[in-house]
Amino acid sequence: MQGRVLKPVLAVYTGLFILFLYAPFIVLGILSFQIGPEGGPQFPIIAWSTYWYRHIFGLTPPSRIAPLPIGESLIRSLTLAFMTTIVATVLGVLSAQAFRARFRGAGAAFYLIVLGMMVPGVLVGLGMALVANTFGVDRHWWSTAFVLHVVYTFPFAFLVMLAIFNRFDASVEEAAWSLGVPPARTFRTVTFPLIFPGVLSAMLFAFTLSYDEFSRTLFASGRELTLPLAIYGTFSVEIHPNIFAFGVLTTLFSLALLAVYAILMSASVRRARRVAIQEET
Amino acid sequence: MRADLELIGVDKVYDNGTPAVIDFDLAVEKGEFIAFLGPSGCGKTTTLRMIAGFEAISGGDIFIRGQRINDLPPERRPTSTIFQNYALFPHMTVRENVAFGLEVKRMPRAARMAKVDAMLHTLGIADVADQRTERLSGGQRQRIALARGLVVEPDILLLDEPLGALDANLRRTIQAELKLLQRNLGITFVFVTHAQSEALTMSDRIVVMNQGRIEQIATPYELYTRPRTGFVAQFIGRNTILDGTLSSLADGRALVRTAFGPLAGTPHGTPATGGAAKLVIPSESFDLFPAASTDAARLRETYGPNVLEGVVAQRDVVGHMVQLGLRIEPSHALHLDGHVEQFHIDALQPESRVWIAWQANEATVIA
Repeated sequence: MQGRVLKPVLAVYTGLFILFLYAPFIVLGILSFQIGPEGGPQFPIIAWSTYWYRHIFGLTPPSRIAPLPIGESLIRSLTLAFMTTIVATVLGVLSAQAFRARFRGAGAAFYLIVLGMMVPGVLVGLGMALVANTFGVDRHWWSTAFVLHVVYTFPFAFLVMLAIFNRFDASVEEAAWSLGVPPARTFRTVTFPLIFPGVLSAMLFAFTLSYDEFSRTLFASGRELTLPLAIYGTFSVEIHPNIFAFGVLTTLFSLALLAVYAILMSASVRRARRVAIQEET
Repeated sequence: MRADLELIGVDKVYDNGTPAVIDFDLAVEKGEFIAFLGPSGCGKTTTLRMIAGFEAISGGDIFIRGQRINDLPPERRPTSTIFQNYALFPHMTVRENVAFGLEVKRMPRAARMAKVDAMLHTLGIADVADQRTERLSGGQRQRIALARGLVVEPDILLLDEPLGALDANLRRTIQAELKLLQRNLGITFVFVTHAQSEALTMSDRIVVMNQGRIEQIATPYELYTRPRTGFVAQFIGRNTILDGTLSSLADGRALVRTAFGPLAGTPHGTPATGGAAKLVIPSESFDLFPAASTDAARLRETYGPNVLEGVVAQRDVVGHMVQLGLRIEPSHALHLDGHVEQFHIDALQPESRVWIAWQANEATVIA
């Protein structure tokens, strides 16, 4: 009896939830096809065109609207996200591995690590800027901001790996040791292939978090801007649909990243087998 | 000659101070099949894991073929472990699983592959060699684990309840196979189990453990017929245990004063005159006679003091087994179970009077 009422209510609720989740993006998507250069961010749009997409790539005749300053900042953001992904994931895997043995002070260490994702980004960014100034260190996206990105994303990678190791059956490692395989090689040929899906998830987390990180980067990155900062900078003048067009492109990029993740995920078992076979030479 | 495996005064104390294994002494000959038997939490698996090197040793020494291995990491010990859940590598085929341990040994690839194939054949899993392990049956997974553990030619094979996950029929088949394999290979097996039937059918000697201590080390037959402690008497077989005081000890015969009067048995261990003693009677040793048609005096000639008069209070026949509840005047009860043949159940109707008797040499008196 209850289900007859509850189920439609839940269905409507879920529908609304998804609508609110995606409505902004849909509006953004539609606005990105506004006619240019005279059309603005208004609804409904005047006419459909791909003007703003061409504008991003500098394929339109010069107009009073400056092109988006994304070229170098995009490279910077991607490089920074890539560096952050590698370092945070390696740290996350290693520290989660360490936490499998309940060492003394494990509880305190856990909270100190997780604190990195809890503390407000603006405060950490500001703090980093002050520390850098005090010690006379130049702020750059690849130094001070990079450190903050790692501090921020490492706990996510760590927690993902902790959950993976929680479900990991340690007896396969013991079986390998008892067959005479040393721990380092056991980690490489048994443990790592089995936790690889988790490693991929940790990498995805680290990459996306770092790629659009704003508040920490704002204070810590110095004069060369990352992509989120560069885009924010254009808001202070006037908003044109070229930002929406760029937003659509970025989202497509993220979706592509997810697709790559899914493909790697499904191939991870096969990959793991290849690793095992490679060892056998 | 040094024993194949020797444990001397081995202790295990966990970090929180709880002792898991206390003063474990054992010497195992080469080619012996040893079972560690006990209830869960008795320390049997911990002892096995200390031999394998997965657990640190808190005190004492472990030797394998005369070499002290206390501080050797697991990969440098001449042991292989078979786990209860088999712990197969899910990302490898059967063949890769079995070959894995040989890869670190610097052995030419051809020789290695030949060895793996031979082992796959020995265990009858050659036909699934190129399959992944997770779709295979419990029995096949069991054999893969054995092949993987044996192909590296360990001095000692450690088995941690390896049959626990199999169904009863398969378990019996694999028990027989395992025993045969062990005899053919001549490798020392150390087998942990909580199932006494498994230990009794397969092992040369059994180490019975309880609460971290060894209760008794003996052959299955001796364990069954001559328990040394109250725990073993209770844990192994179906024994009736009567408490009392030891009143005399002479000529390999002990007399125990019990609630049923003085009863005789064969002393084992170190029961002391005047001290508390237990009389342990295996259920197979009981002979029952209808009181109406039997002369008690004649019975006493055969059975000595071990003749009691009782009344059948309850009788349950379960297939070929019978469970008897006997009332013994004035207010004691005795529960026996045994084979239908043994108890002549036709004569044992409820409320009928019977004589209960047993031979003194079949009963054991322990401290």
